[in-house]
Amino acid sequence: MSDVPFRNPGWAGNTGEFDLTEEQVRGDDFIGQRPLHGGHSSVSGTMPYMLVERNPQAGLFEGEYQERLEKILTRYPKKRAALLPVLGMVQELRGYVSPESMDRVAELLDLSPAYVRGVTTFYTMYNKRPVGRHLVQVCTNISCNLCGADEVLAAFLRYTDIELGATSEDGDFTVIEAECLAACGFPTCVQINSRYFENVTPADVPKIIEHLRAQVAGSD
Amino acid sequence: MAYPYVSDLEVRVISKYFGDPGQRRIDTYVERGGYKGLQKALGLEPDAVTEEVKASGLRGRGGAGFPTGVKWSFMPKESIRPHYLLCNADESEPGTFKDRELMRWDPHQLIEGCLIGAYAIRAQHIYIYCRGEFFEVNQILARAVEDAYAKGYAGEDILGTGTTIDITVHQGAGAYICGEETGLMRSLEGERGEPRVKPPFPAAVGVFGMPSTINNVETLAAVPHIILNGGEWYRQWGTEKSPGTKLFCVSGHVQKPGNYELPLGFPLIDLIEHVCGGIRDGNELKAVIPGGSSVPLINAEDSSICTLDYEGCVEVGTMLGCASVIVMDHKADIVKQIRRMVDFYAHESCGQCTQCREGSAWTAKILRRIEEGHGTEEDLDTLMEITQQMVGTTICVLSDSVAAPVQSSIEKFKDDYLALIRGGERVGAA
Repeated sequence: MSDVPFRNPGWAGNTGEFDLTEEQVRGDDFIGQRPLHGGHSSVSGTMPYMLVERNPQAGLFEGEYQERLEKILTRYPKKRAALLPVLGMVQELRGYVSPESMDRVAELLDLSPAYVRGVTTFYTMYNKRPVGRHLVQVCTNISCNLCGADEVLAAFLRYTDIELGATSEDGDFTVIEAECLAACGFPTCVQINSRYFENVTPADVPKIIEHLRAQVAGSD
Repeated sequence: MAYPYVSDLEVRVISKYFGDPGQRRIDTYVERGGYKGLQKALGLEPDAVTEEVKASGLRGRGGAGFPTGVKWSFMPKESIRPHYLLCNADESEPGTFKDRELMRWDPHQLIEGCLIGAYAIRAQHIYIYCRGEFFEVNQILARAVEDAYAKGYAGEDILGTGTTIDITVHQGAGAYICGEETGLMRSLEGERGEPRVKPPFPAAVGVFGMPSTINNVETLAAVPHIILNGGEWYRQWGTEKSPGTKLFCVSGHVQKPGNYELPLGFPLIDLIEHVCGGIRDGNELKAVIPGGSSVPLINAEDSSICTLDYEGCVEVGTMLGCASVIVMDHKADIVKQIRRMVDFYAHESCGQCTQCREGSAWTAKILRRIEEGHGTEEDLDTLMEITQQMVGTTICVLSDSVAAPVQSSIEKFKDDYLALIRGGERVGAA
């Protein structure tokens, strides 16, 4: 093993020669604070969360989400440009973008259903079918791969007891491979819903899963 | 402070506050001299701002290395039609993790740079196209933009000067190709992020059909410092043709991976040995990809003479790209890593051009066959032939990016391929 002091503040990235807590690295007082109505219109188009508890039947663009939608529409000279943020809102609420949701979005933005389907399928972040409460995406691209990402992926599959791309029977986990997550200095990087877990080793995997299961139980 | 590790050899201009959680707050940023560059810029004519950036010699940090000031000067001088500044924050080149750090540690530096850039090109609207996977970064950036509006640094009548510049953060949805400038523009318009042929260039026909300029996060982050201190000041670092400092994202088999801000022209071997603490576990250096997965890889011999500037990298047959230095030690399995990268390109190809769509998939398939021990020596010729047809024949350069690692690895590490083909002991196998 290397002789570099290794401090891992809860999978937020090795702080190396810095003495930082996980909260300080992640900016916890900034994260998880976004209002559902989207805040200032300049940033209302960002997708703030991927919720653990989703409702595939949730009404779209109601209440605060309607407010957010109206703000988003003010930021672009053409209505169509709001398509990506709007699809993001659908996913945030329902957990995935179903063909029915796409039709609804098409109607809303005066686009054809086929057009919306074409765009939705181009982007990997839109789930085309339901996924587990925790969508585990393990980066296996070059920098992480050089540092053992394949073993981390194998560990996630082993401890959740599912196959790559499948969802566990209890609906808690879906594990997939991801392309480079831009955290190459902190291998292996794993994105779980909206959160990055960095410097993950196979030994960390059972602890992370336990942590996530507790979250699911806690939110019931 | 270049989180997570620090080196005395660094020159920290844009990474000064990495690892300092206070810098995210607007009050702290202003106390430390933030938004002074914006104030100064708004007191100048837009063209004078462009001239200052031109004088600094700042080159685009997204990979192409095109001089930023020159790019800005392509924008029409009239502003009858709306102009747009697009910030490319869709960082997804394998090996690159600088923009994420710039945005999560120092979001206001980027916002200030965007505002100055927008003023220089007479744009009234900035779109920051931030990578979709960056939920956490997006939330930090969102708060920073809201604070900038609240304190009068963005929006109408900025700092009482009568200038109006709006900012919109637009989140991507997971497509590498949207980091290509025309792909990014189409994605922003709500289309599939398929690149289009240039010309027309974005300065003439950009997003929403209007004159647009697209700059990388790191490029814009350097702008406030250049405006505040002058173009000549920036030239005290780097080389004549590649002035200034650059973030080097070092990953792979080094002791201390991370972002290091160094003057351009820094020797690659010193970066590995003296800044990053050498190769892990006392192993030998085998190969380096100095500019992200899209550039040719080089062997240890070339690494020892390579200097990290745009010209120095070309001299050893590679490119600086976005300075994402991926280091591999002698235990690395080159064929597997190249195959993994090609899998990535095959996945991310938008599918418009035949050479890229088919070529990347075929290449991945052949590489997998070789990796699994079923390859033949003719396969290497086939790989060279396919990839040669993928260079310079497509709308964008994603296709060329497949050719670079495949061709360079066959040229420089043929023995690794032959070992697998001839069934000898596999290099790098555990």
